[in-house]
Amino acid sequence: MRNLRVYWRNFDFWLFGAALILSIIGIALVRSSIAGNIELVDHPQRQTTFLLISVGVFFVIAAIDYRYWTTLIQPMYLVTLGLLLFVLTAEARFGAVRWLEVGQLLVQPAEFATIVIILSLSYFFSKRTRSAQKLTSFLQSGLIVAGLALWIFLQPKLSTTIVLLIIWAAFLWITGIKIRVILIAVGVVVIVLLIGAGSGFAFLEDYQRDRITNFLFPDPDARYGETYNVDQALITIGTGGWFGQGYNQSSQVQLRFLKVRHTDYIFSVLAAEFGFIGTLVVIALFVLVIIRCFRISQKAPDKFGSLIAYGFGVLIFFQTIVNIGVNLNVLPVTGLTLPFVSYGGSSLLAMMLGIGIVESVAMRIPTQVK
Amino acid sequence: MNDTPKNEMNFDRWRYLVLFILIIMIFGFYLLRLFDIQILQGEDYVAQANDNRTRIIREPAVRGTIYDRNGYILAENVASYNVVVIPGYLPEDEGNTQAIFRELSTLIDLPVTRGDTDPETVRNFTPCYNDLGISEIVFIAGTNWPFDATALKCNVSQEVAMVVMENREEWPGIDVEISPVRHYPTGDLTSEIIGFLGPIPAALEDYYVDLGFVANRDKVGYAGVEQSLNDLLAGKNGTQTVEVNVAGETIRNLKEPEEPIPGEDVYLTIDTRLQTIAREALISEMEFWNNYSGKVISNNGVVIAMNPKTGEILALVSYPNFENNRMEQIIPGYYYEQLSNDPQRPLFNHAVSAEHPPGSVYKMATALGVLNEGVVTPEYEIEDPGVITVIERYYENDPGQPREFVCWDRNGHGSVNYKEAIAFSCNVYWHKVAGGYQNEVTGGGLGIWHMSEYAQALGYGSLTGIELPGEENGLIPNPTWKRTTLGENWSTGDTYTAAIGQGYVLSTPLQVLNSISTIANGGKLMDVTIIDKVVSKDGTILQQLSPSYRWDITKDPVIHMYDGNVPTGEVKTVEPWVIELANQGMRMVVTEGTAADYLLPRHAELFRNDSSQSAGKTGTAEYCDDVAQSQGLCVRGAWPSHAWYVGYAPWDDAEIAVVAFVYNGSEGATLSAPVVRRVIDAYFELKAIDAAETP
Repeated sequence: MRNLRVYWRNFDFWLFGAALILSIIGIALVRSSIAGNIELVDHPQRQTTFLLISVGVFFVIAAIDYRYWTTLIQPMYLVTLGLLLFVLTAEARFGAVRWLEVGQLLVQPAEFATIVIILSLSYFFSKRTRSAQKLTSFLQSGLIVAGLALWIFLQPKLSTTIVLLIIWAAFLWITGIKIRVILIAVGVVVIVLLIGAGSGFAFLEDYQRDRITNFLFPDPDARYGETYNVDQALITIGTGGWFGQGYNQSSQVQLRFLKVRHTDYIFSVLAAEFGFIGTLVVIALFVLVIIRCFRISQKAPDKFGSLIAYGFGVLIFFQTIVNIGVNLNVLPVTGLTLPFVSYGGSSLLAMMLGIGIVESVAMRIPTQVK
Repeated sequence: MNDTPKNEMNFDRWRYLVLFILIIMIFGFYLLRLFDIQILQGEDYVAQANDNRTRIIREPAVRGTIYDRNGYILAENVASYNVVVIPGYLPEDEGNTQAIFRELSTLIDLPVTRGDTDPETVRNFTPCYNDLGISEIVFIAGTNWPFDATALKCNVSQEVAMVVMENREEWPGIDVEISPVRHYPTGDLTSEIIGFLGPIPAALEDYYVDLGFVANRDKVGYAGVEQSLNDLLAGKNGTQTVEVNVAGETIRNLKEPEEPIPGEDVYLTIDTRLQTIAREALISEMEFWNNYSGKVISNNGVVIAMNPKTGEILALVSYPNFENNRMEQIIPGYYYEQLSNDPQRPLFNHAVSAEHPPGSVYKMATALGVLNEGVVTPEYEIEDPGVITVIERYYENDPGQPREFVCWDRNGHGSVNYKEAIAFSCNVYWHKVAGGYQNEVTGGGLGIWHMSEYAQALGYGSLTGIELPGEENGLIPNPTWKRTTLGENWSTGDTYTAAIGQGYVLSTPLQVLNSISTIANGGKLMDVTIIDKVVSKDGTILQQLSPSYRWDITKDPVIHMYDGNVPTGEVKTVEPWVIELANQGMRMVVTEGTAADYLLPRHAELFRNDSSQSAGKTGTAEYCDDVAQSQGLCVRGAWPSHAWYVGYAPWDDAEIAVVAFVYNGSEGATLSAPVVRRVIDAYFELKAIDAAETP
């Protein structure tokens, strides 16, 4: 690694700073979410540990030239596949467990599958020019995604599967899929849906329709019902006003009317305790992270780096809008967490790892002499 | 990598642009949505959040006790012990919890589990009324309201309750809840007066909830004074406004708690001893006649005793009635249905709500009128041949139809004067003086308008004001009423029948009693009352009976004069001597009239003794109601009849007046008069006992 000091001149402080601030806000909100629940008491401390580890990982990853990853993509893909298959069979043996216990940390292989897919697709498309126009590359890239997505889908973890498919679609988009093809694809989907709706999905039995509804929008905490959680989230957000009720002050949070508040509904905690202004700041930080990723993608020294930055930008963008959308009750409940902010070690580590790779790309953008 | 040339094959700028636009649009939309939720609709959501965390706890107020005039308890609260569980406080350890359940199970005789429950059972879960095991109840309560007490077993014995309370330390989450249950020591002896309690009716839920009552928990009166005096008895629930978390655990008080205000104690004017005798006398007399005649004559009657000087009700019996102790916890469906379907209507207070023709008792209204209006003099004798025929006219110059009117004694009473007409209850005399008869009573007699004025002056046709629910006001007919209600003109015969309390005239037993009381009391129409005093829990007397009267007919001009159908605007009083003569006439009823001679030894014995110096008036009121009609009893000229008797004593300074009414009792003198006589005699015996006790 020569000229490492030169690279650090290109270090994108905006990207790292925004991500770090979001993570710290996240720890603060997780702490507020405890609200007397004994099970959650150690969560802020654990999340802090995760953040420290993640930041360390971030700097290591950023220092490593992203191009070295090309050699690791294949083994990483296979390891991830192996872990997913292990989880799937373990599930059959021990019941529904999505978690792999690694020491004291709980690691979700699905979180890392997204990183592997982004790297794999970036590598795949960087090798091909005008690739997306060809049916073969469309199918091949599809197989790369399906190779991991299928097992995640069977876990079942629909939300991550959708994330993977969205990333695939986003890669097809940026690598030059023709508008015509998109229109045809959209047309086919619309026609199928119209036929279905026209017949009132009559070809499905009642219980099948119910199952599909339940399957598409699964209920992670059915004790009080999905509607209850979403309703309480809306009430919680509504109590925020302009400046919020103050840290640790929201009755909805502190008296635990808001459920799954340290993960899925952490945005509601933010909205309640810091108000409209608080959400505005956090949304601005997310926009900053996403836009920095896309800017790095545009300036990247090669296609591989460009696609990596693009891929992580899309990942963060999609997860953020879906999570906030669920909180605002404009999207059905999915179980996707808010990047950096929600409690969850694997998620935070995966996000920081991703940002680290993007930073590695950023640091290797040739400095332009004006 | 400065040496790497900038990638010339970078991706389309416009494709990035589309993404940037997407970012701005989606986050822009989210910010608008946030603005809408937080700023525009913020207040609504804050209100909902406050609703979530605020709970108002209504601590129940103790309901007042009901006593009789001598301090004898008629309605009281007794403690009912319920074993309850607060699932949130049960031990964390499942094994310890199960151990508690097992020990408890043997103590309260409720199985630990009765197997799985289906959603239907869970939805219909009602504490105290289910057939679930301990585990099932704990599961349901723990899922829905983990920090609220839920009854496992209701109404356990005090011993069981004591054991549970002693084990409080070892059995966290298990406790005893003491809830008051209404108990009526006198039961069906006074149930028509006391009534019973029931849940807050859905129609009045808003009203009661506004007053701080809790629907589905607090009870309100459904009949009797429990209903009419509910506001006094109920008190006011305490209010605690507390903050709770999602599990229902109380965090802190949001407002200064208000203590419950206990209801007030009520002392009724009822004398339970006299009530017992009155009820007993009525039932035994009916049973005697049912046995004597070999068929069921009647199972429905009323006895009311009052003090004519004060208007206090001393006894009030409506038979049949109901057992109000059976309603102490809930109103059992089958029992309520049984009561509702009983043709004798036990839930109906016949004493104040039943409207019947008063029969000959009503002649006393006519009697005041004819003397006061100078239709006849007291000495004027009128011939009673037993049967008279008058021309029934519906309008002036109507050629009319001849109609026969008979005396109850078809042989007639010969020539009778005023007092004899009362004593012998001579129908023909009253027909003639009320409606006019040829040359004997000229000028059309008293006339319907004046007759109704005298009836109203005695309280007929209006509520007496007794503090019992469902009182009816009866009916005093007049030509205007008949035209508007029946679309027919008033006829001569209508006046004839109205004069003897038949035809369209209707009145409640209480009105009949009060009318005669008014005469016995020298013309004062007393305000009837059942409340002696109202005492707060700390002993302060809040309300004490002070006798009042609506009017004194000898002083207050309440009689309106009519010319034909038109009021002249003139008003007058009743002359005291008229009342005195009516009083003497009623004394004659007992000394030589309709209630003087008894053939059966059972009654001859009773009436031989005249120690109480009573007076009275018999009534035999023919009726043809739906029941009689359906049994084919309404044969013209031989209708079935109700038995009435009103008596008071001593006749010249009455302190007790009693009415007895027996549905379908045939003759007032034979069926009702003995009941009244027993009550009057008992009254004086009790008075003597009381006098002997108090030095």
